[in-house]
Amino acid sequence: MRSDFAEPVHTMQEAFFLGESKHRVFANYHPAVRGDGRILAIICPPLFFEYMHVHSALRNLAIRLSEGGQNVLRLDYRGTGDSFGDLEEFSVSDWVDDIKLAVQEGRKISGSDGVHVVAVRAGALLACRSMDALDGVRRLVLWDPVADGATYLRELRDVQARCIEQHIYMSRADRVEAAQECAGHRVSNRMIEDFAALDANVYASIPKNKLYVICTREAGGLHLNGHSRVVIPPACDWAAIENRITIHPVMSELLRACLALS
Amino acid sequence: MSGPVLTEEPLQFGAGGRLSGVLTQPDLTSVKVGNPQVFVFLNAGLMHRVGPSRLHVRLARELAPLGFSSLRVDLAGTGDSLRRVGLTNRQSVAADFDEIKDFLDLRLGDVPVILFGLCSGADNAIRLTLGERRIVGLVLLDPYCGSNNRVLEKARAIYFRWVKPLQHIVALKKRLVPQALRDVPIAELPRTVFLTIREAVSNRLEPETLRDVPTRDQLRAAVLEIRERKGRILSVFTQAAFQTYYVQTGQLGRVIKVEGYEAFCTELFWPEATHLYLLEVHRRRIIDEVKAWAVGYSRA
Repeated sequence: MRSDFAEPVHTMQEAFFLGESKHRVFANYHPAVRGDGRILAIICPPLFFEYMHVHSALRNLAIRLSEGGQNVLRLDYRGTGDSFGDLEEFSVSDWVDDIKLAVQEGRKISGSDGVHVVAVRAGALLACRSMDALDGVRRLVLWDPVADGATYLRELRDVQARCIEQHIYMSRADRVEAAQECAGHRVSNRMIEDFAALDANVYASIPKNKLYVICTREAGGLHLNGHSRVVIPPACDWAAIENRITIHPVMSELLRACLALS
Repeated sequence: MSGPVLTEEPLQFGAGGRLSGVLTQPDLTSVKVGNPQVFVFLNAGLMHRVGPSRLHVRLARELAPLGFSSLRVDLAGTGDSLRRVGLTNRQSVAADFDEIKDFLDLRLGDVPVILFGLCSGADNAIRLTLGERRIVGLVLLDPYCGSNNRVLEKARAIYFRWVKPLQHIVALKKRLVPQALRDVPIAELPRTVFLTIREAVSNRLEPETLRDVPTRDQLRAAVLEIRERKGRILSVFTQAAFQTYYVQTGQLGRVIKVEGYEAFCTELFWPEATHLYLLEVHRRRIIDEVKAWAVGYSRA
């Protein structure tokens, strides 16, 4: 396995839709390149503009994990990426179901018995929320998890305010309409209510030996008593609307944490 | 994936499955008329095939009920596609398009193509059009077109460097250095804001520096070729173009000086929208505009 995160020149992957419903989930599967592939890694991306920040980084992580002997499945939640539907049609419970579906289908496809979940930002909240219905998850590795749903919503509103400020030639009518958006998207009231109801207990309910938290800044973010937490600077600027995280020291730590129990 | 009026298929194609993409096709049992033209969505910069805030995904799915198939593709080295080692970007994009054509031949036949590109996607679309008979339409978001009016160009530079920042001093204050300015004593605020804005504007990079933009001759040749093929072009310029090179409505037409330009080209100026259509209100508008243009194209 290469130790760096330079862009790969060879890879094996397959893209497909999961599920039977009208709104199906897009997934990319990277089979293990070597080893017995006993572990399936599920990669849960962040939501909104943060998804665009890390698409490339998460793909590279998936490739490195497959080179390290794990089967990997990356998913796009419904209403995001290439999955069907629009963001405003879905809420937390739908995305939690998407993660459960990815684990279930990923296991069928790969034949793996153990599951690791890598989740980023709000994806971490969703992944931990889905854990009560999932067996066989041995490890949850979280990258800069949002502290809780209410904090996350505040951050999204701040992003929206900054976004509107950037539009210096926008008409009054457009400003009024844009004020209804959340981080540049239309979302449902249900989604806002669901996120507001997700507090840090979602994380606290995960057994200590399963959870591994990797943060890129010391201050803020998630702090849980007794759970493993490492800080890998420099801090990722998640609040920047236009940003792209490709190579970052956190990637090596994510890889190490995921492969540790293979 | 099948919906009520479309099917969607994730793909890997090209030599060794190098390129990734998603083919969207109208369900011809639900759609009255299938259009022969196929939209090909090119990457906007390094963003993957879904486009900024899923613009490409939504457009592909809203064009399908109108009878249009589309392919949103990750060019080599972007999104889920492997890069081509040892090639320049232009060579790589040209090789990608050869494989895209082969794929379209295989699946849809010798279909005419409408290229959709934002920013560097528009630059690639313009270059690919040269000598490629299949390309009969272009949707260009913030293509670089240069200026045709030195006086206006100078006035624009003065306006953005000195006048506009002062007009928008309150709004820009937060945008440029929010925390720093909040700590500045009130008496020092105007001067600090002024100096900050002047520095920011002075340091702004021009598109020629950031992008591998086509030359004016290439741009003109591409437009001429689309005219010869009886095709059409839609170009939309946003706030980003306005702040860097686009001075006035209709500038692209005036720069390239192509006879009959207005008959087959639609040029829109939307300074209210940002380069990446960050707000839904503007994404909705561009989606509706492209759909209306596509319907008009198919009826022409």
